[in-house]
Amino acid sequence: MDCGTALKSMISKADGLLPRAEEAELAAHLAGCPACAAEDAAISATGPVLRALTGIRATEKAPALDAMRTRVRAGIEESREARRRTSWIARWAWIPAAVALAVSALLFYPSGTDRSPFHPTSFDVSVEDVESDVATVALVDKGEDLPRVIWIIEDAKT
Amino acid sequence: MNEREKGGVPDDALIRTTLAGDDGAFGELVERYKGRAFAVAVGIVGDGDDALDVVQDSFIKAYYKLKEFRFGSNFYTWFYRLLVNQAIDRWRKSARSAEVPFDESWLSEDASPPDSFAYPRTPEDLARDRELGDALQRAVDALPEIHRAVIVLREVDGMAYDEIAKVLGCSVGTVMSRLHYARGKLKESLRSHRDR
Repeated sequence: MDCGTALKSMISKADGLLPRAEEAELAAHLAGCPACAAEDAAISATGPVLRALTGIRATEKAPALDAMRTRVRAGIEESREARRRTSWIARWAWIPAAVALAVSALLFYPSGTDRSPFHPTSFDVSVEDVESDVATVALVDKGEDLPRVIWIIEDAKT
Repeated sequence: MNEREKGGVPDDALIRTTLAGDDGAFGELVERYKGRAFAVAVGIVGDGDDALDVVQDSFIKAYYKLKEFRFGSNFYTWFYRLLVNQAIDRWRKSARSAEVPFDESWLSEDASPPDSFAYPRTPEDLARDRELGDALQRAVDALPEIHRAVIVLREVDGMAYDEIAKVLGCSVGTVMSRLHYARGKLKESLRSHRDR
């Protein structure tokens, strides 16, 4: 076995892929070639040294790692609260838009002409309490007789 | 690899219990995999505090994605995919990623080492040779992230090639090629230390 072939075999050995039959051949080469033996020692040491390095880091951070379950639980709670806030904002974000739409309708509602069927004389835009589960934005023609709802959005559904 | 094989409550059962609303079951999964997850994370990001953050964030992400888990597949393979991506992202955002030079002198092949040299193989031995630990960490840091992930999953976690391929979403051949490259680079740093 030459040194080039030996190097390939060393890497295969480190990967656990060297056929048993070739192990003896490699061992014989390493016994007579100090340079390849040094190379083999370095290749074989890669995994153990890397694991040892990780072991040192794990020991250094053992107390924090012990508390990981608590950290994760706290992170989940925090994240859940943030999602809840975002979801609340998303749930009611339509209200300002609906109010703006209602006010626009109020401003541009035809005046001084025949305004059938509503003939409004005054309008009311109202927003119900959003603390309840349902929010309502409505444009109401109070009229002279009974009030008429021209347009209403309830809980983001027209 | 998973707890089913060790005789504990199977991962799948803990996942179902978590999905049914019992967060305590997810806590069991955290306990089960936090050590291995930390070893992988610290191997990729290099810094212990960053690794703790990566592990925590990965578990939180896993918790919220748990309904996407496909029963019948391995939890840890699924989780490791989140973990490795999280670790690589963390590494890219860290200042260290821009500061690690790759010292080509480690690649020197000229020197003839003494025959009696033995590399440390335990944390205790390596702690006594801090220079080697630092040199190896620099060599790991100098690897492209994906190569670093491969060598850490293989050498630190002991994952099989096909599992690594699943975690990283590549072929077994690609895993072997990246492992070969990474092992070669780390080997050179060890040789260089020995040759000094």
